Amino acid sequence: MTALLQILFDALSLGSLYALAAIGIALIFGVMRLVNFAHGDYISFCVFALLWPSIEATAFVFAGQLPPYLLIPVILTVGACLSMLSEILVFRRFRNANPATMMIASFALGFVIKYTLLMLFSSRPKSIDLWPSLSLPVEIFDARIPLLQVITIVITIVILIALVAFLKRTRFGLEMRAAAENFTMARMLGVRANAVILLAFAISGMLAASIGLILVTQTGTVDIQMGSSVMLVAFIATVIGGLGSLPGAVVAGFLIGGVSVLMQVILPFDIRPFRDAFVYGAVIAVLIWRPNGLFMPRSAKQRV
Amino acid sequence: MKKLLTGFAGATVIMAALGVGIAKADDIVVGFATASSGFMQAYDKPAQDAAMIRIDEINKAGGLLGKQIKTVAADTKTDRAEGAKAGLEVIDKGASLVVVSCDYDFGAPAALAAEAAGKVSFFLCAESIKAGIQGVGPHSFSASVLAAVQGATMAEWSYNKKKARTFYRLLDTWTEYNKGICDGFDWMLPKLKDAKLLGQDTFKNEDTSIAAQITRIKSLPQQPDAIMLCSMMPGVVSAVKQIRAAGIKSMILNGSGVSGGYWLNATPDLSDFYVPDQGSVYGDDPNSAVNDFNKKYKAATGGEPSSQYVYPGYVMIDVWAKAVERAKSTDADAVVKELEKMKDEKTLFGPRTFTSTLHHQNRGRYLITEVKNGKPGVVDEWTISEAIPVEYLMKK
Amino acid sequence: MTHRPSIFLRSLSTPLILILVLVAFLALATFMNSGPFNQVVIDGLVKVTLVVGLYVFIGNSGVLSFGHIGFTCLGAYATAWLTIPPLMKKMALPGLPEFILEAKLPYGLGIGFGALFAGAFALVVGKILMRLSGIAASIATFAMLAVINTVYSNWERVTGATSSVVGIPIVRVVWPYCLAAVVSIVIAHLYAISRSGLALRAARDEAIAASASGVDIGRERLIAFVISAVITGMGGALSAHSVGVVTPDTFYLNLTFICLSMLVVGGMNSLSGAVMGVVVLSVIIQVLRQFEKGVSLGGTVVSIPNGLQEIAIGIVMVVILIARPTGLTRNQEIVWQGWPFKRVSAATEP
Repeated sequence: MTALLQILFDALSLGSLYALAAIGIALIFGVMRLVNFAHGDYISFCVFALLWPSIEATAFVFAGQLPPYLLIPVILTVGACLSMLSEILVFRRFRNANPATMMIASFALGFVIKYTLLMLFSSRPKSIDLWPSLSLPVEIFDARIPLLQVITIVITIVILIALVAFLKRTRFGLEMRAAAENFTMARMLGVRANAVILLAFAISGMLAASIGLILVTQTGTVDIQMGSSVMLVAFIATVIGGLGSLPGAVVAGFLIGGVSVLMQVILPFDIRPFRDAFVYGAVIAVLIWRPNGLFMPRSAKQRV
Repeated sequence: MKKLLTGFAGATVIMAALGVGIAKADDIVVGFATASSGFMQAYDKPAQDAAMIRIDEINKAGGLLGKQIKTVAADTKTDRAEGAKAGLEVIDKGASLVVVSCDYDFGAPAALAAEAAGKVSFFLCAESIKAGIQGVGPHSFSASVLAAVQGATMAEWSYNKKKARTFYRLLDTWTEYNKGICDGFDWMLPKLKDAKLLGQDTFKNEDTSIAAQITRIKSLPQQPDAIMLCSMMPGVVSAVKQIRAAGIKSMILNGSGVSGGYWLNATPDLSDFYVPDQGSVYGDDPNSAVNDFNKKYKAATGGEPSSQYVYPGYVMIDVWAKAVERAKSTDADAVVKELEKMKDEKTLFGPRTFTSTLHHQNRGRYLITEVKNGKPGVVDEWTISEAIPVEYLMKK
Repeated sequence: MTHRPSIFLRSLSTPLILILVLVAFLALATFMNSGPFNQVVIDGLVKVTLVVGLYVFIGNSGVLSFGHIGFTCLGAYATAWLTIPPLMKKMALPGLPEFILEAKLPYGLGIGFGALFAGAFALVVGKILMRLSGIAASIATFAMLAVINTVYSNWERVTGATSSVVGIPIVRVVWPYCLAAVVSIVIAHLYAISRSGLALRAARDEAIAASASGVDIGRERLIAFVISAVITGMGGALSAHSVGVVTPDTFYLNLTFICLSMLVVGGMNSLSGAVMGVVVLSVIIQVLRQFEKGVSLGGTVVSIPNGLQEIAIGIVMVVILIARPTGLTRNQEIVWQGWPFKRVSAATEP
């Protein structure tokens, strides 16, 4: 029972991370059909914003020393600004380009961000102890669970509720949903296209920043690569969920997290290193079963 | 389209015109085909700086065979295809010793280029048995000690000095280096009477969470005395942090990949954490010459050595230069012959032995560093009781 | 009605011009006779093969594939299995079947078998994956890449897992690579003007109309998938012989994105785009690299910091795409119609 509870928490906390990242990608995809491969690099960038640039092995913690009530808004702002900046400088110029072109442009942008970080900080992973008290375990029904896991799950739920409220209750939210449904039509009906897209980027950037903060607290590491593996899984989650469908992205994120943890638990030792092959095999199976994703948004229906 | 074609034709001509420099005939040239950008740069640069210090010392003392050592460098950009180019480039510039990237995987293309040209190649700090005869060829060497020795050292030392009897093995499947540590551990464990492996598991360096692996350890009927953690940066920090956060108090044994104190601020209260080091970067080496070297390194580069992986660079030039002196020539075959005669050759960072079957160390003296309350310090020294057989290592 | 020459003759100039460009590089390398420069040209020719392979599927079907580098991996390991001296193989890869362990083929055969192996694998996997279209197909191909990568990174006795497999004969002459690139261009072109190629492009542009005209989209896609797997597999085998080392992580996301970028920057719907994308980006990278080393201009040495090359190439790519969202060749083929060259839209004329 205790072990089961522990596994459940493991799966939920990993799933939360994937879900948060998947929403960030699904939001942008919804409004402009862009699969943003730079998203992972936003995550890394936000984490590096905690440090002062130096290529020394020891991290020079700078913004990271701020108290949480200042630090969180600062990092979220960094994420939002970077994301909006990339929309203004790059993606705005690709409004009518085909998705492959946009995807490669986003990849090139991510490349630039990554190598800029590499030049400023060197490739050596740095260490930082952010909010050490969160690493302490708590007891829930006899299971000792790291506080951070609980917080990750709670934060994800809070963010999801806030996002739903925003999308359902505010004018901007309505416009964003309209744009995701049918961009051209929404535009004709007076939706401020650029403003809506910019806002979607801002939210997506903030989501990236919050993932960055969770990751760095959990791992204690600041690394150039840290965003990319989360981003890949999130990308897959977005597709499995049904591209552009926010609830789909969340569910699929949790699903992949759950399957990963489950595989790690049930696979025998000799096969365990092949875990990801099973996870991705499952991804193929789901796609064959439901090519349009678990939750297909009406806008994505294909005739052929 | 015509413009495009002429454009690139022009660019090619420019490229071709920027030829390659040629070294003076009476210098001895050491070529560095290492990364000065990209991921490996952070690992190659420090070891290369240490090599430069030794070269400087030799040049100041009158040079090698009465000639000055000159260095040339080409950037591998942490890319294998670029690595092959870099190797060819330094050979083109007359290098008689080709120094290649720290990591076996990234250094091999340049080393293979050197081997094909009949030049001696040295890996800066590769710790796989393939970095040498077995993987590259008879002219290739590594300046470091095999990863397996680290795992074996930690197992035997903790058994003898810390009375560890029950072990748990946690392997990060990302690199050969990680597997090497665990191979050494696996070889040593059955030789330790009453030592028992309670269980084992794997993870991937990039895993954001190893919660499932930790849950497995915690559900053991009895917590292990020691966890052999075969991993490296950056994932290892995350793993250690999560292990301690989950309340597991067993001592953690590691390879040298976690050497150095630069990452410890991620885990401020870390204790019972043990690392094998070839020399101490903490300023408390039992050999004062090492501490002097650290000062020299700081003067040359502006910072203390960040980890023990600085040292093999120095050892490399040291043993190669000795072999050249003894062979009275830089001819590859003559130098290899002299290197293979070395048995427990003293260097600043432990003895080195090369034989005609192994151009690497399958036994070596290690300092044991303990991290206590987040502070590292040398507590002991250990040499494994017998060398790990080459046959065992090759089978892995 | 005036008589029109056959599609073969009308479109012949495109592959000829592209081949001439590659042969020019071969000639330049022979003329320079410098080891490092040879290696640069070899590397470029391997990329041409890979990107042309990608084009055969992506360009004709319009489905973006993230998985083809998986075939590259298969091709590279297949040639490694066949060409490494048996003595080394028995040590490093003892899990191989007996007849492969004993084999010691010349590199040409190794490359051929590598290409076939990749093609055979694609035939099996393609049967399943080619039912999908659009982004679902893209993700499925990516999942395939991830599965291949995970298996090759962990199958200790057959692939050596993450450790580098060495002992592959290194080929440092340029012409075999040039030949392979030329062959891949010829195959790609012949496919593009074949019945299947035309049908697939029709389906790419007008799926419903094509389907209604009796085009079996799944089948045509599968054909393109297999042919492109053969070419990218060959490219993988070539890359193994050019460096002499294979590891699974060489054939993963980085290479995938580099090849895709070269294709899209060149113009993903045209063969000319595939070749020009590689040539232009490779040349820009080499020029930037020279600046990293330092270039003497009018007596002063100009140099840029190490690592700036990658940042610059990223920016160059974005700028090219902003200026030409459909790629440098605007998705058109280069054709010879007297001097100067002229482009024809790939959509109407192959």
